[in-house]
Amino acid sequence: MTRLLVADDSETVLLMLQRRLEMEGYEVVTATDGVEALDRLKELGSQEPDVILLDAMMPNKSGTEVLEEIRGKGSKIPIVMISAHLDAQEPERMRKLGANDIVPKPFEWEDLIDKIEELADGDG
Amino acid sequence: MKFNPSLTARLRIGFLVLFALLLIVSLLGVGRLFQIRVNYENDITRYFQLELQSERLRSAFILEQAAARPATAHQTPSQAELDQAAASFSSAASDARNETDGDSVLTAKLNHLVVSEAAWRKAVAEPLIHEKVPPPAVDRRLTSAVTNSGEDLANDTPAARDSARNSARTDTRNTTILVAAGLGGALLAALILFSGLINSMRAPLGRLVEGARRLAGGDLRTRVEVGGPVEIASLGRAFNEMANSLERDARERDRVEQMKDDFVLTVSHELRTPVTVVKGFAEMLTDQRKSLNSRQFEAAEVIAESAGQLQKMINDLLDLARSDAGKLRIEPEPTPVRPLAQRIGRQMRPNFETKDQRFTVAVEKDLPDIQADAGRIGQVLANLLTNANKYAPEGSEVQLAATQVGDEVQFAVSDTGPGLDEDQLDHVFDRFWRADSSESQSVGGTGLGLAIAKSLVELHGGAISANSSPGEGATFRFVLPIAKDGRPKPKTPAKTKAGAAG
Repeated sequence: MTRLLVADDSETVLLMLQRRLEMEGYEVVTATDGVEALDRLKELGSQEPDVILLDAMMPNKSGTEVLEEIRGKGSKIPIVMISAHLDAQEPERMRKLGANDIVPKPFEWEDLIDKIEELADGDG
Repeated sequence: MKFNPSLTARLRIGFLVLFALLLIVSLLGVGRLFQIRVNYENDITRYFQLELQSERLRSAFILEQAAARPATAHQTPSQAELDQAAASFSSAASDARNETDGDSVLTAKLNHLVVSEAAWRKAVAEPLIHEKVPPPAVDRRLTSAVTNSGEDLANDTPAARDSARNSARTDTRNTTILVAAGLGGALLAALILFSGLINSMRAPLGRLVEGARRLAGGDLRTRVEVGGPVEIASLGRAFNEMANSLERDARERDRVEQMKDDFVLTVSHELRTPVTVVKGFAEMLTDQRKSLNSRQFEAAEVIAESAGQLQKMINDLLDLARSDAGKLRIEPEPTPVRPLAQRIGRQMRPNFETKDQRFTVAVEKDLPDIQADAGRIGQVLANLLTNANKYAPEGSEVQLAATQVGDEVQFAVSDTGPGLDEDQLDHVFDRFWRADSSESQSVGGTGLGLAIAKSLVELHGGAISANSSPGEGATFRFVLPIAKDGRPKPKTPAKTKAGAAG
């Protein structure tokens, strides 16, 4: 089963994402901020997720910082950034930091699923 | 402190100085002329008196001679007659002395006469009275001395009179010239004073005029240098106060505008999260059709659709707010036109099929790449096509065409719908504007699509326009620049129309 790590600071958004992704047949691990996301990743250990979804703006540690930290450790887990695009330079910066894809917020559900599938298959 | 009299004070001072100068010059001139006249009259009288006295002196001397030397032999010299004539002579001399007072030449001549007469009386008359005949040489010399000096005095008097007349004439002329010069000088001084006054106003007034023009031109930082007479200086200060107030108001307006932009930006952003959740869960429910009864499914579908509309509206508002705040960013890059037009065409086609409209996409062959943000231009095309889809009735035609026009690519979305009149065309890009307000319910949408399309096209450095006449459909056109490294296309204008028509 494809395993996803999803981090978003809004609990309702997180719940919605979790339920819908579970309905699509994914195993979902959630985190409400950047620090928690890194903790979950550590807990999973060798059972690392196939794709990580990170909201760009989160308290404690932003998605961008988490992305930087994961890539800093040399991990190549596919990462999709969910960004509200408040800053035009943001997507380019994220790609440079090693984001595999960027989903603008708000997203169309089908787009998100397509991107996850693509990355999960490529990894597998 | 610098002496800076007011305009009225300057005018008053100017007129006062002018009046005083004119008065002084006039009074001095008139006084002088009067004095000259009086002096002249006195002199004339004096000289006539002197002439009279000199005649009296000569007569008295003749009488003295007659007394001392009777004309007939039977008469004897008379001491009494001589004394009487001498007294008459002395009285005339005394009178004459009064008149010659101050005239040294005439006084000297008069004295010479008196001294000669005294010498004659002593050396000639007295001996004759006592019957002693003086030596004829002495007699002749002394007698002629008296006669000559008498004539001398009589001759000099008219000459002195003429000289007095001449001098009065010269004085009058000189005084007249002096008065005229004085009056001219006073007028000149007034002229200099007033022109100084005008000059002192001209520079500050010029600065005020220049400042007012700049302020009217929109440069709210304009201030003028305060100067000139008090009134002009206070006008300058008032101008600066006005400019301050205008600048303050403009800043306040900008601040409120900024607050409004920030508010819309924040609100739209904050609304997005809950709408995303509502839409997501509603869509999840519609995916579980089997476990819902038909009413529950219908409700879930309506929620999902409404949330979708709400989300689109919030996105549109956010785009406009960003555009107003100058935060709407695009990332233009060389973009091929055909795939873009085809993608949007594919995306929109179901909407046209629903309304039974004939939809065609016509992209000219070998179009060069455009310099554009593909996502944003796709959004513009989708907005224009959505508009055509909504307003054109069932069975009409809608076309999306792309052609090269000069060094730009022109996109045109045309329909065979009811079209727009001139008044409607003026407002078609306004926010929340609709061709017919009663349509807002039936047509749906946010009324922001065309406003956003305009912002986005302009952000790309392009221009958008609408052409229409009632009953003949509407065409929306916009042009975008060709990418610098896009493949340039050999120009074949004849083909352009054929390609677009196909």
